[in-house]
Amino acid sequence: MTDDLDNIEDFEAKETAGKLPIGWLILFWGLIIWGVYYFIAYTPGISGWSQAKAYEESVRK
Amino acid sequence: MAGDIYKKPVMFAIVSTAVILIGTAVTMFIPMMTAQMHPRIEALKPFTPLQLAGRDIYQREGCNNCHTQTVRPLRTEVMRYGEYSKAGEFAYDRPFLWGSKRTGPDLARIGKKYPDAWHYRHFENPRKFFQESNMPAYGWLKENNLDPGDVKGHMDVLGFSYSEEEISLLQERNELDALVAYVQVIGTSIPRRRAVRTQGKTTTAEIKNPLAGNQAAIIAGRDLFEENCSDCHGEDAEGDIGPSLIDDVFLYVEGDLADDDYFELINNGTEEGHVEEGRTMKGGMPAFVGDMSREEMWSVISYIRYLKNKQEGKNRDG
Amino acid sequence: MSAYQYDHQTIKGFIISSVFWGVVGIIIGLWISIQMWQPSWNVAPYFTFGRLRVVHTNILGFGFGVGAIFGLNYYISMRLTKRPLLFPKLARFHLYLFNTAIALAAVSLFAGMNQSLEYAELEWPLDIGIVVLWIIFAVNLFGTIIKRKEEQMYISLWYIIATVIAVAVLYIVNNLSVPAGLFKSYSLFAGINSANVQWWYGHNVIGFIFSTPILAMFYYFLPKSTGLPIYSHRLSIISLWSLVFAYLWTGAHHLVYTPLPDWIQTLAIVFTIFLIAPSWGSVVNGFYTVAPDWSKMRTNYLTKFFIFAITFYGLQTVQGPTQGLRVVSQLIHYTDWVPGHVHMGTMGWVTMTVCASIYYVIPRIYKTEIYSVKVANSHFYLVLIGQLIFSVSMWITGIQQGALWKAVTPEGTLKYTFMETLVKNYPFWQMRTVGGLIFAAGMLFFVYNIAMTIRSGNAISGPASKGVR
Repeated sequence: MTDDLDNIEDFEAKETAGKLPIGWLILFWGLIIWGVYYFIAYTPGISGWSQAKAYEESVRK
Repeated sequence: MAGDIYKKPVMFAIVSTAVILIGTAVTMFIPMMTAQMHPRIEALKPFTPLQLAGRDIYQREGCNNCHTQTVRPLRTEVMRYGEYSKAGEFAYDRPFLWGSKRTGPDLARIGKKYPDAWHYRHFENPRKFFQESNMPAYGWLKENNLDPGDVKGHMDVLGFSYSEEEISLLQERNELDALVAYVQVIGTSIPRRRAVRTQGKTTTAEIKNPLAGNQAAIIAGRDLFEENCSDCHGEDAEGDIGPSLIDDVFLYVEGDLADDDYFELINNGTEEGHVEEGRTMKGGMPAFVGDMSREEMWSVISYIRYLKNKQEGKNRDG
Repeated sequence: MSAYQYDHQTIKGFIISSVFWGVVGIIIGLWISIQMWQPSWNVAPYFTFGRLRVVHTNILGFGFGVGAIFGLNYYISMRLTKRPLLFPKLARFHLYLFNTAIALAAVSLFAGMNQSLEYAELEWPLDIGIVVLWIIFAVNLFGTIIKRKEEQMYISLWYIIATVIAVAVLYIVNNLSVPAGLFKSYSLFAGINSANVQWWYGHNVIGFIFSTPILAMFYYFLPKSTGLPIYSHRLSIISLWSLVFAYLWTGAHHLVYTPLPDWIQTLAIVFTIFLIAPSWGSVVNGFYTVAPDWSKMRTNYLTKFFIFAITFYGLQTVQGPTQGLRVVSQLIHYTDWVPGHVHMGTMGWVTMTVCASIYYVIPRIYKTEIYSVKVANSHFYLVLIGQLIFSVSMWITGIQQGALWKAVTPEGTLKYTFMETLVKNYPFWQMRTVGGLIFAAGMLFFVYNIAMTIRSGNAISGPASKGVR
């Protein structure tokens, strides 16, 4: 219960400091790959998809 | 060494600023410099002093906390509210008032959907029209007069043109007048009904009311009438905000309407200037295409015809 | 003992102010939750839903949230730099100015002075005051960090620095306007452009007030209160930079299916979904930190606050990005699902982390023990249950409403009128009020616990310890 100084060394584990869990890495890269796909598929200038066209199609059905 | 950045706060701050500004530039600053972010459709007019005063009140009262002002390009949404919102409709909105939550319905196409009198009555007591509505009442706005000097100042800041006469006329108007004037102009730079009209057109098989004179339909029609129509057309369709439905005048012209035209009137509502069977509409009747099924609309017509016959009977006997 | 004199008086002031504004904000929250199903609780002109809702969001976001951030981030920064604040008097002035600004903000919003920009409602004179507040915070913080006595900057300091910079940029840009009198202004931006600027701000101000500074608390107080070191330094580095980079692209996910250009929406959705990764970087780091000794969940009362908080953060940061997807947005946007989502973040993640941090800090400042761990446990379970009732009932009614709005009859017309879909919310809105009451009761346990701890602390040290200590 005193104003002891923090020892910053105690804040972080040494032996696991550089670890990246494999599941998390898969998530990280997976989302980037998905992002590339989604960007290509839903950008009017690339795929031709557009909100307005999608609407017209849904009405025609 | 890259790890040094965690020992150099100034460097850290500079790098994080740069990192933050990349997304900011690509999605916000750069688009802002291009014309695609500043569209304006031809028919859009700047707000009049009264409308702007109303918009200020809309902001002050936080209407945008419960009402959105953008119709999404989705089939059912266009059916419910009307034509979906276009980028160029909002050029004079500083800021935009699209909102983020629909506790109440979207208002992007509310302008001219109902007559002024409907709005006055609804603002004073929303539960008169919708018994279970949770909207606060705004009749108290009537007690507050507008300050023409203020409104004029606001028009000047926005650079909208006005006449001195418009400003001096504000003297006699109150805040509710202004709010109604604003509500009536929202989304009117685009024809609201285009999408609605294509929905549920009468088929050739139904030129005549298939439920005419049907007893069950008349009873069902009575309930529907009380729920949807009597607030404007009166308890016995004798007329109130909307016209009488039991006299012989339809759309301001003597003479009955054919069943299919009647149906279309309920289905699509009326639109100012639109001509139907040689009769020019003044607008104010909302479309019921989203609210009632085809059968329900025919039932209402059966009921109204029944009321009208009863009235004519009375007139003959009396 | 050391020669270091930490400025505890200012920190006490910020914590107590924050708790005070928290109580006020929660009471208003309960009030508006009742207005949703009982319109007679609207009292015109000052206490209608339209005005009270923004008082609720501003008081809790800026009074409770930012107040706690100022106080706790000062506390953390002093500890991590091993020195007192560089400008203690400026910090004191900061505290007074902060409370004045929040009080004026509340009054001005009651009065209807409102820019209609979500989370940037305050009119221009108050905006200037807030910018000054923030500059004071930044000057003191950067000054203290530059003059630090510990070379290495710990993770929490990274998040604090990023917060200070991002909020400054966001707040200033979005509030640019042309004054039209003292109490009214018109935005510099119009139409779809103003929408784009607002949600660039709106989303990121949530990110940099309810994520990054709270993560700073999490990364500091979790190891401090459990004695367990953070699992992976490298994971925290990658998480920080990818979070800070990706966040700023995502604002337009609030504008899906609006007239904003499609490509901006798509880009926002891409980065929004990507944000799951950096957010879960912190979640994984938190779990792995406690993983060597799960018994702490039972033996150390603060551990469960932090672990549940980071779990809600994890759920929040999956749910949020998912909502950005067009197919999901179609259904739940504009419905009560969204307040359900927001309140899991604010009541689950933010409030739990802030309360646990205050539990940690207050006994240390007052040189005493926490008044009652039992009361703290009751607090924990009540806010947990209250928040779950709130969020779950809003999700159910949100999905229901979204589905009813889209429902069509076989003949191709809409199946329900708007009113028919509205009334189906009522039982759920009542349920939400119940959840809110339970949550509020939990927060009263918290306030009581903190008040009693402060009292016992004052009793021990006596009035002599007053002053800069």
